[in-house]
Order: sequence, then C-alpha cells, then structure tokens
Amino acid sequence: MTLSPGEAADALRDIAATETHSRQLYGYREASPHLLIWGILWAVGYGLAAALPRYGSAIWAAVVTTGFLAGYATAFRAAIRRGTPAERPVVETRRRAASRLNWTYSGIAFIAALFIAATLAVMSPVSGRQIDAFIPLVVAAGYAVLGLWLGVRFITIGVALAVLTLGGFFLLPAYFGVWMAAFGGGALVLGGLWLRTA
Amino acid sequence: MEQPDAVIHQPLRLRIMATLKALPRGERLEFVRLRVILNATEGNLGAHLGTLETAGYIRIEKDFNGKKPRTRVSLTEAGTRAYGDYVAFLRAIIDGTGDTTHAN
Repeated sequence: MTLSPGEAADALRDIAATETHSRQLYGYREASPHLLIWGILWAVGYGLAAALPRYGSAIWAAVVTTGFLAGYATAFRAAIRRGTPAERPVVETRRRAASRLNWTYSGIAFIAALFIAATLAVMSPVSGRQIDAFIPLVVAAGYAVLGLWLGVRFITIGVALAVLTLGGFFLLPAYFGVWMAAFGGGALVLGGLWLRTA
Repeated sequence: MEQPDAVIHQPLRLRIMATLKALPRGERLEFVRLRVILNATEGNLGAHLGTLETAGYIRIEKDFNGKKPRTRVSLTEAGTRAYGDYVAFLRAIIDGTGDTTHAN
C-alpha cells in the first residue's frame, strides 16, 4: 500500500489542526485563573476607589501589587506542575521555574508601568476617569491581539471589555467607577469562567 | 525514514501525539480532558494510549487529586522524536523525496 502526496498532505493538515486546537484549549485553561484574579481585583479596586476617591492611588497600588503577586503565584504553581519529578528533583524544578518567572514578571511589570506612565505623561493633563478608562482599553486591546494567536475567545473577551468600558465612559460618566467594578470586573470574571469551560 | 512508524500512523494515535506535542514540554494532560479534546470513547482511547505507552512514546501517571483518582498523560523524549520523524516522513512524501510505502 502506498501513501500518496495527497494523503500525506491531508495527514499534515489534520496534525496542524489538532495541534492548534490543543494549544488553544491549553492557553484558555492557563489564562483562566489570571482573568478570575484580575476580575475580582478590578471589582474591588474600582468599587473602593469609587467609594473612597481620596485614597484612589493607594487602593490601586495595593490592587496592582496584589494582582502581580497572585499572578506570579499562579504561574509558579503551573510551572511546578509541568516539572517532571521522575526526571528532575522538585527543588531543581522550583529553582528553574522561579528563575524564569522572575525575569518574565519583572519584565511585564516594568514594561507595563513604563508604557502607562509614558502614555499618560504625553497625554497629560488627564482626569482620573480617563485613566480609569484608558487602562482597561489597553488590556482589552491586549486580549484581542493575543487572540489572533491563541484563539477567538480572547478576542471576544477583549471586544466585550472595550465595549463595556466605552459604554460606561460615555453613557454613565457619573457612575463610571461603579460601572467598571460591576461590568469591567464582571466581564473578566465571566471571561475567566468561560475560558475554564473550554 | 523509509517506512512510517506504524505505532503513530494510526489516525487516533497520531491525533493523541499531536495533541500532546502542542503542550509545553513536561506538561501532562488528564485522560478525561484528552478524551473530550479528541472526541473519543473511553475504551478506544485507553487502548490506543496503551499502545503508545508500550512503545515508550507517552508516559501515563495515575494518582489521586484529593480523593478522586486521576490519570495523566505526557509525551516522552522518545515520543517527541518519533513524532518529529513521522511529520518529516509526511513532508518528504509531499516534497517527492520520500518513500511512499507504509506498513498496513
């Protein structure tokens, strides 16, 4: 029996489709806890900042720090899970995971802080409400771009987040903080649960 | 590679290998999740996983997650190499540089 070039091409197409599907589902599952963390933190951050506007900066500093630490812990647990104790001691797996994640998370924190500070400096003066809308829009764009590689669910979450942010900003300016606590944070939580079901 | 690897050549086993290959190195996939992804029956998937494990291409680990029994599957180094060779074999056929015969 022979395998024709056509059959070989079909097999390669099937392989590529299976790999893409597997990679997407894996990405959804891995991203899910991060969206849940940030969704809850956004709800808390926007809610508290709306109730206590004087402490807005301190509240957001605490929220962002908590988010990064929780995200780091989640990624670290995933890296340990991927370690293969049969081939490598757990201590070594932990050391490698920590080493890689330290660089990754430091890089993400540094780039994000620099980008947002630079953008706000260029656009200054901006109101607190504008800042509160700008950051979710950047996050939404990030998810949409990520979705081009990792799957359509990220694009959907990004678009939903952008629409909700713009809707609250233009239609309910007086209640924007509360709106974002409920619908910005809520969208991320629902998005995280949706990714979990993939 | 003159002959394709008969272990991987079977369609469901090839899809199992492709699914596992797409994961980060060392990552394990739960049996129930693999069954859903591949839309396979439990018995059929179990039999093909057994064949791949016997060939040394995958590792099957059984443990408990809390009180629930859990079976997880991952690709071995030998499995990664065999899968790469099989994909190269298919590409060679398309390029016209490979042997097109395969054991049935």
